[in-house]
Amino acid sequence: MPAVSKGDGMRGLAVFISDIRNCKSKEAEIKRINKELANIRSKFKGDKALDGYSKKKYVCKLLFIFLLGHDIDFGHMEAVNLLSSNKYTEKQIGYLFISVLVNSNSELIRLINNGIKNDLSSRNPTFMCLALHCIANVGSREMAEAFAGEIPRILVAGDTMDSVKQSAALCLLRLYKTSPDLVLMGEWTSRVVHLLNDQHMGVVTAAISLITCLSQKNPDEFKTCVSLAVSRLSRIVSSASTDLQDYTYYFVPAPWLSCKLLRLLQCYPPPEDGAVKGRLVECLETILNKAQEPPKSKKVQHSNAKNAILFEAIALIIHYDSEPNLLVRACNQLGQFLQHRETNLRYLALESMCTLASSEFSHEAVKTHIETVINALKTERDVSVRQRAADLLYAMCDRSNAKQIVAEMLSYLETADYSIREEMVLKVAILAEKYAVDYSWYVDTILNLIRIAGDYVSEEVWYRVIQIVINRDDVQGYAAKTVFEALQAPACHENMVKVGGYILGEFGNLIAGDPRSSPLVQFNLLHSKFHLCSVPTRALLLSAYIKFINLFPETKSTIQEVLRSDSQIRNSDVELQQRAVEYLKLSSIASTDVLATVLEEMPPFPERESSILAKLKKKKGPGAVSSTEQEDGKREGGELNGGGERGADSTIAASNASTPSPSADLLGLRSSGPVSAAPPSAGSLLVDVFSEAGPAAPAAAVNDDGFLSSAPPSVVSEDPAPPMPQSDELLHKFVCKSNGVLFENQLLQIGVKSEYRQNLGRMYLFYGNKTSVQFVSFSTSVTYTGELQSHIHELSLNVQTKPVEPLVEGGAQVQQVINIECLTDFSDAPLLNIKFRYGGALQNLTLKLPVTVNKFFQPTEMVSHDFFQRWKQLSQPQQEAQKIFKASHGMDKEVLKGKRIMENFVCAGVIQTKAQQVGCLLRLEPNAQAQMYRLTLRSSKDTVSKRLCDLLAEQF
Amino acid sequence: MMRFLLLFSRQGKLRLQKWFTPLPERERKKIVRDMTTLVLARKPRTCNFLHWKDLKIVYKRYASLYFCCALEEQENELLALEILHRYVELLDKYFGNVCELDIIFNFEKAYFILDEFLMGGEVQETSKQSIANSIEASDMLQETMEEYMSKPAF
Repeated sequence: MPAVSKGDGMRGLAVFISDIRNCKSKEAEIKRINKELANIRSKFKGDKALDGYSKKKYVCKLLFIFLLGHDIDFGHMEAVNLLSSNKYTEKQIGYLFISVLVNSNSELIRLINNGIKNDLSSRNPTFMCLALHCIANVGSREMAEAFAGEIPRILVAGDTMDSVKQSAALCLLRLYKTSPDLVLMGEWTSRVVHLLNDQHMGVVTAAISLITCLSQKNPDEFKTCVSLAVSRLSRIVSSASTDLQDYTYYFVPAPWLSCKLLRLLQCYPPPEDGAVKGRLVECLETILNKAQEPPKSKKVQHSNAKNAILFEAIALIIHYDSEPNLLVRACNQLGQFLQHRETNLRYLALESMCTLASSEFSHEAVKTHIETVINALKTERDVSVRQRAADLLYAMCDRSNAKQIVAEMLSYLETADYSIREEMVLKVAILAEKYAVDYSWYVDTILNLIRIAGDYVSEEVWYRVIQIVINRDDVQGYAAKTVFEALQAPACHENMVKVGGYILGEFGNLIAGDPRSSPLVQFNLLHSKFHLCSVPTRALLLSAYIKFINLFPETKSTIQEVLRSDSQIRNSDVELQQRAVEYLKLSSIASTDVLATVLEEMPPFPERESSILAKLKKKKGPGAVSSTEQEDGKREGGELNGGGERGADSTIAASNASTPSPSADLLGLRSSGPVSAAPPSAGSLLVDVFSEAGPAAPAAAVNDDGFLSSAPPSVVSEDPAPPMPQSDELLHKFVCKSNGVLFENQLLQIGVKSEYRQNLGRMYLFYGNKTSVQFVSFSTSVTYTGELQSHIHELSLNVQTKPVEPLVEGGAQVQQVINIECLTDFSDAPLLNIKFRYGGALQNLTLKLPVTVNKFFQPTEMVSHDFFQRWKQLSQPQQEAQKIFKASHGMDKEVLKGKRIMENFVCAGVIQTKAQQVGCLLRLEPNAQAQMYRLTLRSSKDTVSKRLCDLLAEQF
Repeated sequence: MMRFLLLFSRQGKLRLQKWFTPLPERERKKIVRDMTTLVLARKPRTCNFLHWKDLKIVYKRYASLYFCCALEEQENELLALEILHRYVELLDKYFGNVCELDIIFNFEKAYFILDEFLMGGEVQETSKQSIANSIEASDMLQETMEEYMSKPAF
């Protein structure tokens, strides 16, 4: 036991702490504290200079008061003074106070930096460590600016003590995380990697955290660490349990270092070098084998440390997702843990299995544990474990077990904890829709959901069931019958009344043949619930009633009477009153034909993604929805019936039935065609910003004219990739459109909104991360291509981009603003290069920014006489560009604002550039018989005529 | 990395707080409130892990004190449990049969020991011996800088 410790150095402090502890009430405590604060304040302000010891004691008291939860607004200066004390303990208290109390933006930082600088150059390892700790604790930008250059030097210097190296590594990591731009890579980086080989285990343990973080951001520069990490891991894994002396923790050799090594390897794909890979697989197998060995100690610390390594190894196996043998072994191991008596292990096994369920190699193996998981859901005493079980059931669900899982989740809902009910409801609703083979099952499930947990059924859920019933005529009769039965219950949830009102109002006729559900019986049933409902539900019911008048003329007089009653027609709620008045009037004056037209059955809803899933994501935050969704999207994306093509034609609805519930539709990821008539969705849908967008750009490669397709789009290098083959196609979609989805693949969706005025444009790009994993090192750049580049001195476009956040969380979306100034006319679009890392792999793609010269077009009003006069003035051959082409969209479109003269469309406008204004005239002559167009453009500049003609010809 | 580490008593009294990322005071107080209510409400023999916002909470009770830390998504919960345990061991080694009172009266020592073990939310040194040595060495550093510098190098 050290001689000087336990606060006996500061008797005053101990007395003060005792006093506080003896206070009988909060008031007494506050009184004592205020007395002490006044005392300290007077001491600090007093004329007599305080000695170091007193200063230390008072600063320490202030710290204690602060830690009790009281505000401290003085004493900072005294603490900073302590930094320059030559007594170690005074210095130490000074640093502690600063670490705990100083905000990163304090004005004192400069003074503190001075103290730190002195200690860093003192060459006294203890002082250096104190200073490094302080930097790591405060971690402000000013500190990074002052020391980011110095610390790497300390870290790799040959004469630095091991303990200082450890502190320097972690301090640098902290600075790198707060201000990555200030930590410059350099000659030290390669030497840092070699710290993995350091003799001192403590140094390796500290350095590897830094290396892992640096590797995530700059994988290529650090890739030599893979083989070093594998050999270090292999040495640890194969060492006897006592080889590593004090780094052995309860008979487990270096558990912290092992886990960090396994984590570092998760930044990279499997090693390419066969020998390295073999060695690593051997390590992973050894770790899996050790799990089967009898424990070397009964202590929980032993099994925790051992299993920590095991789970980290499994995480690596899942990350590689390429070794079926290891994946299945991992799955079996987790299966054993599912029944382990340690709650912690059951919890973690459920959690890990969720990720395993998304691998195609292990999905089936995970499914074999379904009974255990269901059992866990029913019997676990701990709600957080039950929650994990519910997550896993959701992740392992597919067509083969959907009915069982949904049934189990429903029955669990009856007793589920309130905290997780809403989420459970969303999950059941999603699974029911995703895997519905027959829609009567779907309807039953949702109605059950409302019955069991009506309060937790959000609007999205019941809107969705109505959309689906309306769009599928094979289920309408069944839905009407079921909802009618459900409403028989003496007490039913208001959501049930809503669904009931809507469905009976639309399809009540389908069950009206049965005298037990005759029109009047249906009406009376609905109306019996009316008075218990809230205003919005009553409003909905009134609409159902008017629909009844149309469906069943025999109910007219009864319903009119209801509408006429004072409680409706004089209702104090303006919406109800208005509906009652209007419906009453409508029913009395309109003829049957008019009524039938007005109250016609609802047309099918445009097929649109379910917003339920988006809601679930929002609720749980990124990463919550297991990656199964993405997987399924990948597997089944092909069969999705693209929303854009879907018309109001009911024959399509029939064909839909053959591909039930396109799963991708549920993902809430794909943008669909028309603006939905569906009820408003949950707000922050990933795609909401695109809701006015056209059909999603096809992600599959489109065969273009081929001049760019020589380079495959998947080439991954640090240089900006060449533009994707389909980039021209994508560009053409935006010639006459300012908003929409520019690009989409499995990982990323890019949406565009743009606006132009005169020669200026502003474009908003929305990068949506479709995965549940964050994108790191996300960066974008805009470059010029071909022609634009060669005229570097007379740039045609001035494009300014604002940088984007380098991190895009899973499911999140980041926005980038691009300002564009058109200097002179141009033909080629700027290139947009996007780079990021997804699970360690570099993604690099290049698109054409949808900026075309016609965006700077301003229409001009002109009478036809003027038009033709000008047309004739521009008669030189080079001023004209002409194309004759076949109509590709049928002949009913008018793209540009123009004047119609006979069978000709003409337009006039001015292209606004900074340098000049270019007047343009356009003439489009359709030939309906031949389905051909002739497009002629004349302008004062030949390049403009040509480019506009090319651009616009694609649009017809 | 670890985001924060809290020690609080069964009555919800905070005994030690360590924040590895800067947060405004108001936010810290809210987190402390959330953590104490969340953890103290847990029944015995339940698991030691929780999800809270986007963080994993790992906690363990030692006698009258709860040790509670928050981890980022990809961190290993079991290992965090052992970080807590190792910290308890370190306190124990230093104070000899550590109890809550030791931490109340010597809170600054509790911080110093923690600083030797963790830095910036990452494990700096796991060897019990190394940490004990450096704490001891700093306790011995009572002499002034001049005295220290005039000593022969060791």
